[in-house]
Amino acid sequence: MTKAVPRLAVNGLRHLYAERPVIEDLTFTLRAGQAIALVGPNGAGKTTVLKCIVGSAEPAAGEILLDGAPIDERAETVRRDVASLLDDLDFFPDLTAAEHLDLLARAHGNAEPEDLVDTVLDDVGLLGAADQLPGSLSSGQRRRLALATALVRPRKLLVLDEPEARLDAEGVAWLATMLVEEKKAGTSILFASHDAALVDAVADETVTLTPLP
Amino acid sequence: MSAADGPVVFDPADFGAIPSARVLRRWMRKVRRGKADRTFSQQFEDIYLIVFAVVMLGATGGNVLLNLNDKSAACTSSSCSWLLDTVPFILVPLLVSTMLRALLSIGPVSASRATAFWLLATPVDRAALLRPSYRLVVTAAALVGALAAVVGWALFGAAWSTVGEAAVLTTVLLLFTTCATVWAQQSATRSRWALRIADALLIIAAIPALLLAFRQSQPSSQTAGVAITPFDEVQEPGLLALDLRLLVVGVLALAVAAVLVFVTARTLDRLSRQTVVAGGDLLAGLAGAAITLDVSLLADVVAGRHWRLKGRLQSRRGRGSRAIALIHREFLRVLRWPRRLVIAFALLIVPYAVAGTGYDVLVPIAAGLAGFGAVRPLMDGLRSVCRSIGLVRALGMELRELRVIMSVVPGGFAVVWAALAEPALGSPAVAFAVAAGILTGAVRQASARPPSYSGPLVASPMGAIPPGLFSTPMRGFDLLLICLAPVLLGLSDLWIVIVPSIIGMILFSISPKQN
Repeated sequence: MTKAVPRLAVNGLRHLYAERPVIEDLTFTLRAGQAIALVGPNGAGKTTVLKCIVGSAEPAAGEILLDGAPIDERAETVRRDVASLLDDLDFFPDLTAAEHLDLLARAHGNAEPEDLVDTVLDDVGLLGAADQLPGSLSSGQRRRLALATALVRPRKLLVLDEPEARLDAEGVAWLATMLVEEKKAGTSILFASHDAALVDAVADETVTLTPLP
Repeated sequence: MSAADGPVVFDPADFGAIPSARVLRRWMRKVRRGKADRTFSQQFEDIYLIVFAVVMLGATGGNVLLNLNDKSAACTSSSCSWLLDTVPFILVPLLVSTMLRALLSIGPVSASRATAFWLLATPVDRAALLRPSYRLVVTAAALVGALAAVVGWALFGAAWSTVGEAAVLTTVLLLFTTCATVWAQQSATRSRWALRIADALLIIAAIPALLLAFRQSQPSSQTAGVAITPFDEVQEPGLLALDLRLLVVGVLALAVAAVLVFVTARTLDRLSRQTVVAGGDLLAGLAGAAITLDVSLLADVVAGRHWRLKGRLQSRRGRGSRAIALIHREFLRVLRWPRRLVIAFALLIVPYAVAGTGYDVLVPIAAGLAGFGAVRPLMDGLRSVCRSIGLVRALGMELRELRVIMSVVPGGFAVVWAALAEPALGSPAVAFAVAAGILTGAVRQASARPPSYSGPLVASPMGAIPPGLFSTPMRGFDLLLICLAPVLLGLSDLWIVIVPSIIGMILFSISPKQN
């Protein structure tokens, strides 16, 4: 029997910042329907690992494989299958919350996303703010909208950087439930978090990073 | 007080009379001076540089203006006379409309968030605290009025006494405008009405501009060969009488303006913190963008504020999927801010007006710049994806692909705009070059990276700056000029079409850089 190819494999990842290593020889694998949490103090390199995976940062050494093939953020499969939420998401200032989700779903090939958009808006608690522009949303609502952008598109791998940030206690509870449901649907999740309760509720494994001297 | 003394208890005896704003400002100045890290000679050097630059620019600009005035005054045809008679009816409403909008967008009285939080919340006289900002706005409005009138009238060959009269009256008019906006700032309803008046003035300015534009279609034989007496002889019955009139009108108008400015200053305490902070935030954002000399960032700040104030809109469902959906959304986005479209079409007057003045050589350049001003604001979508790598990832497309898709609607508009300007431009080939120049230039400016201070910096008299900082404001205009170069050099239609086509192909085939 052949062993199943992991959804994501990170082998010997090394990253330098200003010629100083911030990640050294990091290796882990993530299977379909599995969630891995990256934990560790500030400056340990959690966000950098996620950036390397989505192609925002260039590793100095090592390989990152998506379904067995080297990951390349320019490849259509990666753009189609990897939904990410890092700190670099901005919004169109003149599109409402509903229009953002409508546009994203259509950009990913869904020609009739109306029901999906309404459902996701309801799920993230933004149905009442559907017609609001991003500039008038609170920071928590903006975070929910950012999370919603990952839910209106196809995805095999979810990459999330501190998804609990700026969410209230109710929001974090909703997030944990949503991520567990995602796992059940076969989505692999890699997320960095400082919230122990969220990690306990969602992660099957944790990878602990420590700042390098 | 030690911890053993217990918590602080309010004691009215600790508090005396409320200090005056002047005392408070003096105290703040003293504290700030104590923290100053620049010596007197360094500050003196800066002031010297500023004064030197202003004098040099003034001398150069003044000299150019004198020459242009001489040349324009030498024109004795009826069309020149008609031009001079028409210009005030365009310039004055346009100036007042622009001033109304600009002043209302910054307040006009503004304060930083810190001032609003730490000072305006205290019982210190609010009017006195806001007076420096008010004085600054009044001075700026007066200077803009005087400068615009001098340049506007002198350019079209008016006699210098007329220029002086116009400068005084325009200055007074803009002072009235400033006072009116301070009054309007006190309530949202008044502000809305003031904005409507600004729109009405824009329409009023467009009427004579349209007349000027269509005047070029009249046969030149109607005016050619007709002996016209020079302006100076027609318009100036006697130097002494005119000087006296100028003196009386000027003194009276300035006196009324001074009284109005004084009375308005006493109403500053009616301004809410919210209204003054909004302008302060905008100015802070604009100042930040100005430091990077990034025109797009300035536009982002203004557009961002517009949508933040709007807050809520009726959501509209998209159509189709993938590229079609993005193009459709861009189309809806352009329709969402109708004023931009109105201004874009109003700018069509520019090439016709320049053609109407007879300066045919300037028509393609004037059309290119006006078209750039019309099309660039329609590229907010492209701007958004180019500054957010996360948004590009979320949309699941390459940035190069997105740049092409998001340029379709503005590109179509550029083509329509240039086609409508074609009669003034003279040939379809020139219209093509103008459309291509507008599109490539605007796309380059909208998709450019802002200067990054996190990378390598180069030393300059202004301190460390990113390489290429000073070329930033020219970004976009360079492609416009290259596309128009064959027209300006008088090359054949083939070159006029080929050069912009190559520029367009290169621009859209390379991927824009992101930070």
